[in-house]
Formats: sequence, C-alpha cells, structure tokens
Amino acid sequence: MTDNENELETAPDDVEEAAADEAAPAETEPDATEDAAPAEAAADEAAAADEPETAEEADDEAADAGPTFDEDVMPDDEADLLIPVEDYLSAGVHIGTQQKTKDMERFIHRVRDDGLYVLDVSRTDSRIRTAADFLANYDPEQILVTSSRQYGRFPAEKFAEAIGARARTGRFIPGTLTNPDYAGYIEPDVVVVTDPIGDAQAVKEAITVGIPVIAMCDSNNQLSNVDLVIPTNNKGRRALSVVYWLLANETLDRRNAGTVYALEDFEADL
Amino acid sequence: MSESQQESTRQCVSCGINVAGMNAARFKCPDCGTEIHRCAKCRKQSNLYECPDCGFRGP
Repeated sequence: MTDNENELETAPDDVEEAAADEAAPAETEPDATEDAAPAEAAADEAAAADEPETAEEADDEAADAGPTFDEDVMPDDEADLLIPVEDYLSAGVHIGTQQKTKDMERFIHRVRDDGLYVLDVSRTDSRIRTAADFLANYDPEQILVTSSRQYGRFPAEKFAEAIGARARTGRFIPGTLTNPDYAGYIEPDVVVVTDPIGDAQAVKEAITVGIPVIAMCDSNNQLSNVDLVIPTNNKGRRALSVVYWLLANETLDRRNAGTVYALEDFEADL
Repeated sequence: MSESQQESTRQCVSCGINVAGMNAARFKCPDCGTEIHRCAKCRKQSNLYECPDCGFRGP
C-alpha cells in the first residue's frame, strides 16, 4: 500500500482525533479540580458567567451532587484495575469515535449525548493483562511493534525498547516481513499494531507469513485479520502512552524483570 | 500423539476446518497456553474464537 492510500484511509480519523483530544480534557476537568461537578453543570456555569445569580445556583447544584465519576465508563464500578479509573479517564483511554463497527460492539459500554461511543474501561484493562500474558510467551526479539500514527510512534518505540522488541514506526516498508532480499527484512513471531487502519501494510504482511496480530482498536476499527484486540482510544497522545506503558510494565512483570517504568517515560513531548 | 490426534489439533477453533496453506495463524491461548489454530477465512471475517480449554473468547 502506498503512502497516499494510507492518507486516504486515515483522513477521517484526523477529524475524530481532534474530537477525542478535545473531549478528554473537558471531561476530566471536574476531577482534576476535585470539584466533582457534573459536566452539564460546568457547562451551564460557563454559559451563565455574566449572570452571577445563575452561576451561584449552578455551584449549589454541583455541591448537592456530591463526588461522583464524571462518566459512566464500565458496568462494574468495583472492578480491580491496573491503575485508578480516574487515570484512565484523564488520559481519555475510554473515548471512542462517532462511528462504531459490529466487531467492536462488545467492547463499547455506551454512547454519549454528543455521539461519541464510550469504550468499557474494565475490558481495556483486562485485555492489557491478556496481551501481556500473550507476549510473555514469545522471545522479546521476535516481537514487532508498529505505528504509522504520529502519536503512537514514541510510545511504540519506548515499548519496544522496554521489553526488548523491535519497532517499525512511520511508513511500514512493503516487504519488511515478506521480501528476503530487502535489507530490513525480519521474521518476527508476533506483531503489535497501533491501529489496523494506519498499519494495514503490517497487518497484511503478517497475514501472508501467518503470524498472530495484536491490535489496539478503537470503536471504528474492523477486526479483520486481528487475533487479539486491545480496545482503546488509539488516536489520543496520552491514551496511547498510557496503554503502551501499562502493557510494557505488565509484560515485564510476567517475565519477573525488576524494571518498572513511569508513565512520564512513555509520554512524548508536544 | 497419533496422526488423527494431530489432525484434530490442527483444526480451526472457529469453524473446525482443517487448517492448511497460507494466511492461517497458530498461537497459544493468551489465558491458558493451549495451541489455537485459526483458518484464513475466519481471520479475515473476524469470526469469534473460543479456547476449547479455558473458554477465552477472542479476538
């Protein structure tokens, strides 16, 4: 596949990326300030900034509401997660797109008023553990991580460095897995892709050579030729950092390696 | 392991067809480590698979 084809396929995602990035901070503001005001109340407060009386009423309403999560993101609030649910929310891991596929329906928890699908965070958490178990079966050098998406490049490279895998970021050169005459030819045993749409060439070649594919999938992805899904927002910078960070630490934990990385290590500079 | 047992273990976990040729995948179940085979068609159509031992459902 050429670069032009990749651009055509990922073009709609750029719009969603902006939407997802905008949506995440707006949702998490109430938590960050520990005010715990519902998003609606905050919006009302901002709209009525010129009218002090109505603003005060909004404050009262917010105080009455008490501390709650800004959003309903999973069926079981008591689920045991790798990191607190607030951290998932602040990174926007749960933010999907305004489109959904039949394949991803089982990972979607609900749809928001603005049309964005919300992924079930508990299933994301569970799949990160499962993927770590899966990757622990393989020789680190035989794991290939790919990311053509800009925001996924740094976390993918860092993940590969952390677990000793190989990374191919940016354009995936056709023949990397299939052409023995190509200088960069490799024969991995498993491929981890950041987005099956953007990394379509890597998925295609993985199919040709018959190796399993682990993919980070958003609500708009199809699961064709994917063997293990990690449902997550695969468009946000912080979401990808968090997911790769958790996956790296869990994989290292399965190998009983003493190294533990911090989230900051996986966050790219703006 | 007898020949018939080997053949049965090389069946696609989704559709039961004997796995042969390219584009099929073989990997260990992420949960229990049982060998799982997926045929090219089931992979392409993203058919659900279930581990015969632990019941893990993928993809």
